[in-house]
Amino acid sequence: MAETFPFRLVSPTGIIYEGPIEQATAVGALGEFGVLAEHVNFITSIEPGLITLKLADGSFIEYLLSGGIAEVKDGAMTVLATEALPLAAVDPAAAAPEVQQAEARLSQMSFYDPGYQEAEQALRNARARAEIAHLSRLAH
Amino acid sequence: MATLKAIRRRIASVKSTQQITRAMKLVAAARLRRAQEALLNARPYHEALTRVADSLLASAPEAAAPAENAAPVTLVIVVSSDRGLCGGYNANLIRAAESEAQRLRAAQSEPRFFAVGRKALDHFRRYHYPLDGERINNVPRLATVGLARDLATIIGERWRTGAISAVGVVYSQFRSPISQRPVFEKLLPIAPSARPADGAPVTDYLIEPSAAELVPRILRSYLEAAMLHALLEAEASEYGAKMTAMDAATNNAAEMISRLTLEMNRARQAQITKELMDIVGGAEALRGAAA
Repeated sequence: MAETFPFRLVSPTGIIYEGPIEQATAVGALGEFGVLAEHVNFITSIEPGLITLKLADGSFIEYLLSGGIAEVKDGAMTVLATEALPLAAVDPAAAAPEVQQAEARLSQMSFYDPGYQEAEQALRNARARAEIAHLSRLAH
Repeated sequence: MATLKAIRRRIASVKSTQQITRAMKLVAAARLRRAQEALLNARPYHEALTRVADSLLASAPEAAAPAENAAPVTLVIVVSSDRGLCGGYNANLIRAAESEAQRLRAAQSEPRFFAVGRKALDHFRRYHYPLDGERINNVPRLATVGLARDLATIIGERWRTGAISAVGVVYSQFRSPISQRPVFEKLLPIAPSARPADGAPVTDYLIEPSAAELVPRILRSYLEAAMLHALLEAEASEYGAKMTAMDAATNNAAEMISRLTLEMNRARQAQITKELMDIVGGAEALRGAAA
């Protein structure tokens, strides 16, 4: 059995998950990354996408994160998500029109517009939700 | 002495006021419970984020300095309520904001207020304070992620462009339903946390993509979390103050009703006595006339 390490997923509405895990896989600023026990101290930003947790008993849990920050310090990992949804709470059908809206909004903006980054973030968020079935690492 | 009818009318009026204050107290109590829960839930996020921001900035202090040639201006965000009837809540808050402004002026930084909530806005307008913006009518809820993001965006922009060199927020800290304390919290620049005296090394992080790219994002999240925290504290404090004030008002009304009832009974008794005297006096007069 692989070694476990303490893990916490918190969002502004509360602690979403807390407990020892074997492995965490998420999407960071430089692409997908995994964390195992005794990882070096590490900070990265989280991009909209899934985080997959492998628990000590070998089962998996997945959450959809809309962005945030991940930190590993002294062997413990903390993920600060701006929003975290359990997979069951994500409705891909509802996200499809949001993707279109966000695309339309973004297409009328220039990169230097004040709301550009937020609009881009909204689009990536909606896309992640619409393609959730595709993103899930458990399905494969 | 007031007439019996006037006293009766007065009692009816106080009773209906009491009903209103009692209802407001119950509503405030229910909202307080919800606000307290939200405050409790948000605490781990706020604490963890403050810690991460702190440790990241300790390993890359230059990335979070104010813009070059930033104006010596401190943006003071005052989180008040939109409605009154909550005792001294807003008055205490505004007094704290003003004394903070005085302190800033003494420290050669010009304070500029940003009013959240109608009560702060009204006050600053009335006394012609330099106002830098406002967000009022935050109904049905004050503490929303949306408002916190909005405020964080405003702060972030002024910070980047160098319009301000410091940011603080004045809000009421919720200690218990009967105790709220106005506090000033400095948000930016982030004060480096106290280092251990023995010179223990700062945690060395592997930072991806790079500190320069990550700091603005963390700063943004930090501001959002700090604003949300202030809003949540303020919301819980407001309902706590309102509940206490309305409880006191309900008790005062009860006291007033019992005093007025006593007065009414006295007046009624006086009237009965007077009527009896009239009857007795009349009978005596008749008997005297017959004899």
